[in-house]
Amino acid sequence: MLQAHSFLWNYLWVAPNVFLLGLGLLLWRRGLSRQFPAFLAFAILSSVGGLAVFLADILPSVSPENFWRVDWLCLLIESFLKFLVIAEVFSRVLNPYPSVSRLGRVLVSAFGAVLVLLGVLTAALSPGDTSFRLISGFHLLEQTVFLIESGVILFLFLFAAYFRLSWDRFSFGLLLGFGVSACAYLATWAVITNVAPSAHGRVLLDFLNMATYHACVLLWFYYLLVPGKVVAKSAVPLPENTLDVWNRELERLVHP
Amino acid sequence: MTIAILLVVAAALALVFILGITVSRSLQISSGSGLVGQIQPIDIEAFRNLVDPAEDEYLRRRLTAAEFRVVRRERLRAVAAYVQVAGRNAAVLVRMGQAAMTGDSQTTEAARRLVDSALLLRRNAAFALFRIYIALVWPNPGFAAVPILQGYERLNGAAMLLGRLQNPAAPVNISAQL
Repeated sequence: MLQAHSFLWNYLWVAPNVFLLGLGLLLWRRGLSRQFPAFLAFAILSSVGGLAVFLADILPSVSPENFWRVDWLCLLIESFLKFLVIAEVFSRVLNPYPSVSRLGRVLVSAFGAVLVLLGVLTAALSPGDTSFRLISGFHLLEQTVFLIESGVILFLFLFAAYFRLSWDRFSFGLLLGFGVSACAYLATWAVITNVAPSAHGRVLLDFLNMATYHACVLLWFYYLLVPGKVVAKSAVPLPENTLDVWNRELERLVHP
Repeated sequence: MTIAILLVVAAALALVFILGITVSRSLQISSGSGLVGQIQPIDIEAFRNLVDPAEDEYLRRRLTAAEFRVVRRERLRAVAAYVQVAGRNAAVLVRMGQAAMTGDSQTTEAARRLVDSALLLRRNAAFALFRIYIALVWPNPGFAAVPILQGYERLNGAAMLLGRLQNPAAPVNISAQL
């Protein structure tokens, strides 16, 4: 069952891409394409790319070199679109809060720059798992992209949690899915790139990656289709507060 | 191998944090009531007394350097406790403001202002705590971080002026005297 090109393998490769394409179409039909243009582009291009890589894998006429070239191209497009989606969600979360949006943008830029440096450093220190540069380069790029992606997403979660920023339901689901998949992928690509596991171990890691992605696509469906809990809003008037006084005092402490 | 272990551990920790935040968010949504009771009253006058530079100056003149460091650390810990409570209260007020944003337009506007002020307080509390922890490590005034902080403040002041010129409608962080 857990063999390369088994039925489960083929299902886990194809199904998430088909579902993601369906999710993109659903998003478009519901008129959400204006609110989530980057995710719509990701859903369509990434799923088409994933299916193209699958076809390149099973078609005997496609040489191994060409398979890896197709995979490279899809990875580059998908990575670019993922970061666009993250930026889109971050803007949606921060825009309603002008008092922290500038701080958030400055911090995420600085943290992102640190992550890029860290990614380059780990790639430079990684031995590479194969002598074929096309393949080892692909693995290193995967490791670097998922290191940056998981770090940025973790930062966004921590920032929003610290300031108790409210998210719309689908934005939260999107980032949760990307966060879970990025963490799982980072771990597996780190092992593949640096430890060079056996062929069977490699297949198991591929299964883990594909199953995680499948779960994340289903998670996005859940957040899009299932409405959230309706919380009864309190009719209690807003409390008297001394926020302005405290703000002045703390600003005096921070900027004496 | 070492890099693989480090990255796997980092990925696992990130996943735990992300899932933890997700769980705590869903718990917060389901327990939206009783927020007022979570606000802890704090004495602003006592806080002013603790952060009064004249008090620090008086203590420095009256005590030996070693005694002053001990006393100043105690006072800084007390200030940190106040700031933490103020920050927590701000977090509660953010949630209360967000919950009130679906009322009529006047209430929504008041709630929006409340959320904005509370977020500003939460941000200031984080900066203040950072500064307090530096001072706890280095309790003497005039410690090495001061030039850095002064430079930061000048930079911040310039950035705020620029921000005000670019967007006069946005809230501007100006140190005010009471």
